[in-house]
Amino acid sequence: MSHAHPQSLFVLGCSHHETPLEVRERFTLSPERIPALLQALQQCSNLSESLVLATCNRFEIYAHARNEKALPDIREILCQTLEVETALLNAHAYRLQNLNAIQHAFSLAAGLDSQILGETEILGQMKQALAIAQEFENTGPVLNRLFEKSFQSAKIVRTQTGIDKGQISIGNIAADLAKRIFGKLHKNRVLLIGSGEVGQRTAQALKNRGVHDLTVSNRTAENAQALAQTLEARELPFQELTQSLHQFDTIISSTAAPGHILSREDFQTAQRTRPARPFFLIDLAMPRDLDPALDSLENCYLYNLDDLAAIANENLARRSDECQPARTLLNTQAWQLWLQLRRRALMPAD
Amino acid sequence: MFENLDLSDRGVFLTATTLYGLAAALGLYGILRPKPYPRIGVLPLVAVAFLIQTLALNLRGTVVGGCPLGNPYEVSQFIAWSAALLYFIVGPACRLRLLGFFTAASAATLGLIAALLPAWDYPYTTGRFGGEPWIELHAALAIFSYGVLAILALVSAMFLLQQHGLKHKRHQGIYALLPSVQQLDTIASRLLLTGTICLSAALIFGALFWFENPDRVPVFKLSMTGIVGFGYLLVLLLRLRQQLVTRRHAYATILLFILALLSLWPVQSARHPGSPQAQPDLQQNP
Repeated sequence: MSHAHPQSLFVLGCSHHETPLEVRERFTLSPERIPALLQALQQCSNLSESLVLATCNRFEIYAHARNEKALPDIREILCQTLEVETALLNAHAYRLQNLNAIQHAFSLAAGLDSQILGETEILGQMKQALAIAQEFENTGPVLNRLFEKSFQSAKIVRTQTGIDKGQISIGNIAADLAKRIFGKLHKNRVLLIGSGEVGQRTAQALKNRGVHDLTVSNRTAENAQALAQTLEARELPFQELTQSLHQFDTIISSTAAPGHILSREDFQTAQRTRPARPFFLIDLAMPRDLDPALDSLENCYLYNLDDLAAIANENLARRSDECQPARTLLNTQAWQLWLQLRRRALMPAD
Repeated sequence: MFENLDLSDRGVFLTATTLYGLAAALGLYGILRPKPYPRIGVLPLVAVAFLIQTLALNLRGTVVGGCPLGNPYEVSQFIAWSAALLYFIVGPACRLRLLGFFTAASAATLGLIAALLPAWDYPYTTGRFGGEPWIELHAALAIFSYGVLAILALVSAMFLLQQHGLKHKRHQGIYALLPSVQQLDTIASRLLLTGTICLSAALIFGALFWFENPDRVPVFKLSMTGIVGFGYLLVLLLRLRQQLVTRRHAYATILLFILALLSLWPVQSARHPGSPQAQPDLQQNP
């Protein structure tokens, strides 16, 4: 790490890359406590600008320093606010300066530094962090420009590379597959069997993509009722399941039943009333709820947990392949910003 | 319209075929690269190829004094032209972005085969329909219906490809770009209805002519067109009764279209038993 130059931009923080979970827990700052930290940083005479980014995977302070005393001041404020020892902070915190700090912010906004590569949630969190810092008047020309350019670069990277292509969550993969089978999902009739968490998330992902007609069925009536309320869905008595199959297009099964709850014959009967309409069957249960022989049925598309996980892994591998082109693009953008800031005499020429 | 232009219609046809080929190559490049499929590129190229092919058909039509459907070369070009025309109607209406690639590839293949087989472009007596408007209408409708049925075969092929991807858990590349199986199945059923109506109408007009001039219509041609027409009617009937759906329906429409294409050669041979040397060169009959 290089020494902080007078009037330099730097980022001090810790993330899931280097810091174990039990340490990160100690650096956690609830949203209510961020304003107090921002105010403390604002009162520091050695800092001209500051911003706090606190997510579940990272805690970072972006700052523009007036002189070399800024860094010890920030460490002291941070240790007081988080109630942690200076030694712990020094052991786990990283510090990046000037061009490296810009490259880090750009990578972060593009999702390259995220636990789930290419995810877009971090962009929203960065925008929120900027908005809060601006509200407290902690930011100025350097940090405002840094973050705005980060957002623009993230957009460029997402457009020009495949860094965010291909879903990697089970729910979104299932929703993508449903679109490949049915096209628009607003008329899709979805049945959720059981109350497994992954099943609920998959149903929610389908609702987010336009599904209006959701029905839940559970062996325990109370669970079905609670689930129906949570997902704003209709209820179907479990004993009527087999004879009602023809009413649904997508069936998500996520029960704790020891064996198959629906057989090939059940669907063959259901298909007779709707031979041209496909069935999309998502088996998220372990052991499996749906007879694997269903896959051989014409117009029946069966996906189990392994199938969905294989797609997620493949998409993740493709995203990793896009990492290097994305970094090259971001480094060029970061270099342009660095030159701009230097031209405006806001940054040191070291 | 273009009679004053000093152009060889075969050269213009070849230009259109080349452009269709370029559009297909561009579409293939769009499918294979990891970036999103280009929204523009294939469509303008197919549009230019279509216009050039229209010019070529017009040039040939001016020379033969009617709709240029006198030999397999002209019929191939007319089918490719009809399929491209249908693509402009079906593609945007149904948001089938990959249909452009498939149409361009088929038109290029058809054009290339026609270009590589000079024997197909044999001479025939111009003005062959003898000024019979009903027969002109019959021929134009029949070939237009072949265009519809060509697009139907392409949509069916897209359906089979998407279904194969879904069944075998493949989701990258071309599979991610294809429309949903249900959408393709719906479009296929509509195209089948349209194509069968057009073909039936063509056959009815042809039958009216046959009743009046039984000696002028070869029995073999009549049988072949009858078999193709009956085949499509049967598939339509089974589809309406939901007895032939999805995969089997797709296979049936592809096989029927191959049969329809294969029937063109014997139909042409039946009409011109002595071709290619029996008739005077059409270039001598402006």
